[in-house]
Amino acid sequence: MKRPNLLGICCNWSPWTCLNAAGRTNLELPPDLRIIRVMCIGRINQALILKAFEYGADGVILLECRDEDCRYGPGPEVGHANVTLVRSLLDLLGIDQQRLVERSFEAHEKDRMVTELWNFAERIEAMGANPAKPRQEREAV
Amino acid sequence: MDSARITKIIRDNALYQCLECGKCSAACPRMLAGKQYSPRLLAQKLISERDDEAFIESSVWECLTCSLCQERCPSGVDISRVILEMRSLLAAEKGLKGYRAHDGALHSWMRMMTSPELKQNRLGWVSADLKTAETGKVAFFSGCAPYFDVFFAHLGVDTLAIARDSVRLLNFLDIEPVLLKNERCCGHDLLWAGDRENFETLCRLNYEEFKKAGIEEIIVSCPECYSMLGTHMPEVIPECDIKVTLLLDLLQKEVRKGGKAFKPFETTVTYQDPCRLGRVSGCYEAPRYLLGQIPGLVLREMENSGRGAICCGNSGFINCDAYSKNIQVQRLQEVSATGAQLLVTACPKCMIHLSCAMRDPARNEKVSVPIRDLTSLLAQGIEWTG
Repeated sequence: MKRPNLLGICCNWSPWTCLNAAGRTNLELPPDLRIIRVMCIGRINQALILKAFEYGADGVILLECRDEDCRYGPGPEVGHANVTLVRSLLDLLGIDQQRLVERSFEAHEKDRMVTELWNFAERIEAMGANPAKPRQEREAV
Repeated sequence: MDSARITKIIRDNALYQCLECGKCSAACPRMLAGKQYSPRLLAQKLISERDDEAFIESSVWECLTCSLCQERCPSGVDISRVILEMRSLLAAEKGLKGYRAHDGALHSWMRMMTSPELKQNRLGWVSADLKTAETGKVAFFSGCAPYFDVFFAHLGVDTLAIARDSVRLLNFLDIEPVLLKNERCCGHDLLWAGDRENFETLCRLNYEEFKKAGIEEIIVSCPECYSMLGTHMPEVIPECDIKVTLLLDLLQKEVRKGGKAFKPFETTVTYQDPCRLGRVSGCYEAPRYLLGQIPGLVLREMENSGRGAICCGNSGFINCDAYSKNIQVQRLQEVSATGAQLLVTACPKCMIHLSCAMRDPARNEKVSVPIRDLTSLLAQGIEWTG
């Protein structure tokens, strides 16, 4: 089977600290996962999550801080609301809602993060390819 | 830019007939909302100054495509069609531009529907009281209603009520429509955003679904779906022989036959003509006729109504900006000037956009008015007589 296309969207604060620590201690991460670092998961709206699926992601994981740790205030709550809404849309489209995952971390939880990422990668690989892979949009140059 | 193709677009749509009278610009809601925007100047640039690509591009992408300019044009220039074809041309050459509202979320899911393997889960809204059939010759096309219902839930807009009430009205007329599990979006927003390729894919997939189910007639309540399935789909699929019926037309015909009436509803309403229903499909009379059949209901027209109706501020979910908001506020002020207690419209997008403008906390009290779809209004009161 073609390797799955996995996207992780990672908040710059606690989750990125975990990821950095995991890298420094040479913990292995799923090879099919691409990570985008953003300042806060609250920056990610429904459209950006949908776009990941439109562009062929088989699974998307949002890596965010715990609700009470957000450096800006409502970031993770915005994340929860967006995940709920996008999951409803994915369900209408017949895309398994489990392809969109949300996990929160404290800054010291590098081992748990690595475990969660491997779990995510294995679960999506077991699900197979995303049924809704459209032709790609031609982006403005 | 492909100059030969531009010339063809100009010839096909009578743009050389432009007299430079400027009525299009004077009527343009965007211009009246304060934006420097001129369809007349676009015509001039397309005809004689094609090297000003920056101007042409921005004008082509910024149009709301409400067709009011076309209505006012004394020479019969098909400006909307010029915009539509120029968008396809520019998109093919330079990529999709134009600011997509909601960051393009709607266009994303519409494009996702172009995957042939898609198995949607879109019929959760069908309540137990609705009578629908598994097979048959007549289908009801619910369009994007289930998706809008999720995406615009925060506006308090219930687009699924329109779908349910449409089926109720059909049931009342003894029609048990087929609801297709895998119908796609009609493609309106993709086509008007310049993405012709994906629009055509949606058309083909929809046509295949209709044919597979043995459908001969599609009933639609959304004016955009009506224009896409009825006018644009046969252009993509020449052998298309499916009859597309607008629910309002069907109702008007049935009510005229007699035997049906509406329960009295004492209220004053005003009616927002959706651009895709009025100017694009020429349907002005049916909604007014049907409103006139409700005893006790008084229809007060807005200052700009019928052929001159002002746009709800956006049509293909592109280029929603401060000027769109101005247009919406102006429109809502026209509504309150009529003294109507209820604003009736016939397009889910008018409902979404005008409800959005009403949420402005600074203007809320001045422009807020209950808004309902005509289909729901009719479904609540239709009954058999004698």
